Amino acid sequence: MQFEILAQPAASALRLTMDAGEELTAEVGAMIAMSAGFTVETSGRKKGGGGGLMKGLKRMFAGESFFLNHFTAQQSAQTLILGPKLLGDIMHHNLSGTLIVQGSSWMASDPGIDIDASWQGFGKALFSGEAMFWVKCSGHGDLFLSSFGAIYEIDVDGEYTVDTGHIVAFEDTLQFRIGKAGESLIGSFLGGEGLVCKFSGQGKLYCQSHNPPSFGSVLGPKLKPR
Amino acid sequence: MSSLQFDISQRPDFGLLTVQLEQGQKIYSEPAAMASMDPSIGMKAGLKGGLGKTLGKAFGGESIIINTFSADSGPGEVVFAPGAPGDVTHYQLDMSSLYLQRGAFMCHSEGIELTGKWQGAKGFFSGKGLVLLKAEGTGDLFFNSYGAILEVDVTDEYIVDTSYVVAFEETLDYSVSVLPGLKVGGKLKSFLFGGEGLVVRYRGQGRVWVQTRAVNPFLSWVYPFRPAKNNN
Repeated sequence: MQFEILAQPAASALRLTMDAGEELTAEVGAMIAMSAGFTVETSGRKKGGGGGLMKGLKRMFAGESFFLNHFTAQQSAQTLILGPKLLGDIMHHNLSGTLIVQGSSWMASDPGIDIDASWQGFGKALFSGEAMFWVKCSGHGDLFLSSFGAIYEIDVDGEYTVDTGHIVAFEDTLQFRIGKAGESLIGSFLGGEGLVCKFSGQGKLYCQSHNPPSFGSVLGPKLKPR
Repeated sequence: MSSLQFDISQRPDFGLLTVQLEQGQKIYSEPAAMASMDPSIGMKAGLKGGLGKTLGKAFGGESIIINTFSADSGPGEVVFAPGAPGDVTHYQLDMSSLYLQRGAFMCHSEGIELTGKWQGAKGFFSGKGLVLLKAEGTGDLFFNSYGAILEVDVTDEYIVDTSYVVAFEETLDYSVSVLPGLKVGGKLKSFLFGGEGLVVRYRGQGRVWVQTRAVNPFLSWVYPFRPAKNNN
């Protein structure tokens, strides 16, 4: 499987060239275009994994769909073009181990990677208001992530604080705890900061320059109630 | 007909088209496309073509009004920009035609006719999402997108999500269908996606232009952020 990331960073798209028998699992809305020599199978979970359709449905009602398309090339030199919903970048991560990915940043991965969309390491209640969920990716292979805005990488060695909305992904070698940015919880919300994640230890952290829930809360109130 | 002198800059995020009109030259645009122009250029908002053609445009989802820019009192430049942050592409028509998706039309030179007429039972409206305009004749055509525009050379068969179609050549045969994976046991699962999941299947030889972002998926992303209705 070969890949190329085009039109970076704002209008980025991922173009993959796959040979017969090669497979890719992608977020259901990510497909822009493809050759005719693919079989496509949709499910609410990873192929052969846990979860099930109902879980997928629940995700959707929480503001995010998490249905997956499984693409299998039936002929050689089949191309597939994928793209995210928001303006932003795409990155490739050669996974070897475990990465925790923000739900809306997970775009596609090698079928050899196990995808668990029920990861609740941050606790459930904290994010219910922000319509966020997390995907735990473990195994070996190509993983493609998208961001809102640009992606920047931090090599955490010691401690580091990130607003949760700016997290794209992080290695599970890092310890983390959710906290408030300011002195008091009220003060930190009034100050425009949401919840922050305080990382410690050693590992890679990928951040995005823009915060999707913040952008959503700028647009949402100007629209008709649902 | 002398062809237009133009430059496309700031691609792909903020595509900007600058056209240098010689005295007497005209260019026709989608009404919101003009960003700035020289004082020598006269602008006329109005209906172009007969009533049938105008209605056709309305059918295609484009505005019923086409603006005409004429370099009547001397040469000058006009700058056009897409409505969304996106790309601009030029296409030379030579006694040929090109299909454009709703919203992709930006402007064209003299010698081109734009219609949104039915083309038989081929599926202009076969399902949601794919509404086409046809540009026909000889001259310069400019189309725009949300996100970058990618050109694909189709040699046999190719599939594009309807939301991402920008333009395609008439040499291609096309039909609208449901993405194969969305059908499970003969039942359509696309209700889960609010009608998304429709694709255009191209056959034959020709070029297709796709955009890397689309408005509908973005709107479905924004939707959950709308306030809940207060029933009190």
